[in-house]
Amino acid sequence: MPEPILAAAGFTYTYPDAPAPALADIDLELEPGSLTVLAGESGSGKSTLLRAACGLVPHFHGGEASGELSVGGLDVRDNGPGELSQVCGTLFQEPESQVVMGGVRAEIALGLEHRGESPAAVARAVEEAALALGIAHLLSRRADTLSGGELQRVALAAAMAHRPRLLLLDEPTSQLDPVAGDELIWMLRRLNEEWGTTIVLSEHRLERCLPAADRVLALDRGRLACDAPPSEFLAWAAEARPVLATPAARLFSLAGLRPLPASVKEAKKTLGVSGLGGRVSEPASTRRRKRGQAALELRSVWHEIADGPAILRGVDLRVEAGELVALMGRNGAGKSTLLKHAKGLLEPTRGSIKASGEVALLLQNPGDYLIHEHAREEAGERALLGAGLQGRGEADPRDLSGGERQRLALEVVLSGEEPPAVVCLDEPTRGMDRARKEALALRLHELAAGGAAVIVATHDPEFAARLADRVLLMGEGELIADGSTAEVLAGGWYFATEVARVLGGAGGALTPEQGAAVLERELVS
Amino acid sequence: MSLVPVYRRRASALHAARAGVSASFCLALAFAPILFDNPIVLGALLCAVIAAGIGAGVARELRRWAAIAFGLALLVVIVNPLVTSDGLTVLVRGGSFLGRRWDITLEATIYGAVAALRVLDVVLAFALLSAAVDPDELLRALRRVSYRSALTAALTTRLVPVLARDASRKSEAARCRPRPPGRSTVARAAVAGSLERAVELAAALEVRGYSRARRPQVARRPWSRHDFRVLASAVAIAGLAVVAKLAGAGGFQAYPTTHVSAGPAQAAVAVAFVALAAAPFLGAAGRLGVARA
Repeated sequence: MPEPILAAAGFTYTYPDAPAPALADIDLELEPGSLTVLAGESGSGKSTLLRAACGLVPHFHGGEASGELSVGGLDVRDNGPGELSQVCGTLFQEPESQVVMGGVRAEIALGLEHRGESPAAVARAVEEAALALGIAHLLSRRADTLSGGELQRVALAAAMAHRPRLLLLDEPTSQLDPVAGDELIWMLRRLNEEWGTTIVLSEHRLERCLPAADRVLALDRGRLACDAPPSEFLAWAAEARPVLATPAARLFSLAGLRPLPASVKEAKKTLGVSGLGGRVSEPASTRRRKRGQAALELRSVWHEIADGPAILRGVDLRVEAGELVALMGRNGAGKSTLLKHAKGLLEPTRGSIKASGEVALLLQNPGDYLIHEHAREEAGERALLGAGLQGRGEADPRDLSGGERQRLALEVVLSGEEPPAVVCLDEPTRGMDRARKEALALRLHELAAGGAAVIVATHDPEFAARLADRVLLMGEGELIADGSTAEVLAGGWYFATEVARVLGGAGGALTPEQGAAVLERELVS
Repeated sequence: MSLVPVYRRRASALHAARAGVSASFCLALAFAPILFDNPIVLGALLCAVIAAGIGAGVARELRRWAAIAFGLALLVVIVNPLVTSDGLTVLVRGGSFLGRRWDITLEATIYGAVAALRVLDVVLAFALLSAAVDPDELLRALRRVSYRSALTAALTTRLVPVLARDASRKSEAARCRPRPPGRSTVARAAVAGSLERAVELAAALEVRGYSRARRPQVARRPWSRHDFRVLASAVAIAGLAVVAKLAGAGGFQAYPTTHVSAGPAQAAVAVAFVALAAAPFLGAAGRLGVARA
């Protein structure tokens, strides 16, 4: 066996002032040229392990480390991030916070210049990295004109321009829309297969990256809970950590089928079918819904800007009290603009909007709502209780976990005198693990049960399937589909859950539970 | 559109010239007004910056900077007559307070306006620099002199638009709260957020080998006609400013009565500044810019 690119023996690390270690007794060896996925719930230690591998832990963050961890033969306790950067490239979650220079070419060149490479070598490496990642057309662009997906690819090019043997990626797709996220994963697969770069990737949406993985490491409270190939990991997850299992694996597990699939292709192969049963019964346009009290009504709403295309084009929409609506569509389709209009942050250039009461809006970054030094000051004790943060009133909101921040931010926007008639959330599940998504869905169901109309803009079909009873699909500022969740998400190709793709839309099944019921029926008959 | 005007590559002689040369041109335009009080010369220098901005295709950016600078200039116009009672022509008698007279004079008001004109000149010259000189190229050159200072400057130029967007998002989120907080609270949160960004950026720099950074090697690049033309203009503007100052062509007396020298010498200097600032952009060679750079 070749010398491992990363080797740990009893590695334990504790952040400064932390009561418990973030990593405990980690033993592992990574083979060169492998693609490894790190799985685990939020706070399980995935990011810490990656930060240890690139030397930020303990050199940048401080704290106490014991045991052995070496990367490319360099001991991380003796070598800091500067030395380890010779061996590994690192990419974090937030693209805006890791691009240093103003221009794309200068950004990719920076690391090479740090190494003292000659201008000719720098120019060549920049060109090759840009071509490898399909961003040659961006080389002359300024960083502030790029989308999140483009920025993340530029950061990846900068991390790998010096051809590191190991690439460490900490949830690199969490801030990207699904198209950009999928493109990034394909890109990593290509780097791994064609250049032989060893890749270690942490990710919550495992269904996206398991098909490319050689191995999965599952962490639980800082300990290595599973170290296995994808199929064995799925079998372990189905038994021990169902929240880590992919939807297709959960479908098979619930239906009692084996082996558990790591991809839609594998699942279909096992089932031996390309589609089961008939599709959902009615097309979207013929759907009839009971007319209740309108909580929000948009009549022919346009949003036009002076020197660009119209962002909303005559949107007509009626959402009733107690309805749970998922608003889907690609980036730039107009989802966020529609929600801002509903809240009154934007005025329509034409058309009218009526709401039966207050509209609460939670924008994409919950941290933007938290502006005080103590959690209690954000919205009072009642909000802390609603967010499940009793006893944390004195905590600095910036020290709360991502999930806690979001719960608190939601309670902040809900903390008016009267309960809101409409609750809107813009991309609330970015970077969330499945357990946190379930908890959010539960809270939104509570709000709907209390009479609020809930509208959630999301790219996540699995979350939409869990949450909504109606899905609106937007494209180019128009509503292009409006139907029940099953109608819209079971019949689609891109806007479809993994279960719907496995079953070809059979029976309108979207979730593993619904899919398992369909499979049982089909298999029995 | 970005809240703060930033550099965009354009087809102009100033963009095509090497960053050090283009920066020298802008700095010459910022240096000249510091030497003069004469409003004719200062007005001409303002016209010179605007002409260069139009030639470089960044007039829109200059207009936005001008809007920002105008507030500062107005403040100078207001404050100067309040703090200086020199001058013989009293417009408003303010009486005595704290042992001195607080009269507002015509001369102090005029001098305030002249100082404001100088502020506009300098701010717009730096605006031209930020809009037409590639900061990455400029900072790469500066990194050879002082690596850490140059990188800090690079981070600043990169972070300004990012932080402006962060602040704008926070302000939007504040409007979504049932009881919107005051501006100072949002501003404080934006500052705290910028510190978080700084820590994240520091980590990103560390994993890119910052701690082991070496001085970048020089890229040899032949001098283009744009380099020569822009550098010649820069030298000529700075030289003219020094010579005109020494020759007393920028005569201006603020107190006790205002006297502005306005003769052929001032007119010649004024015309020369505008012509020199516009020179790199004139003719076919000046217009082709990026395509032949």
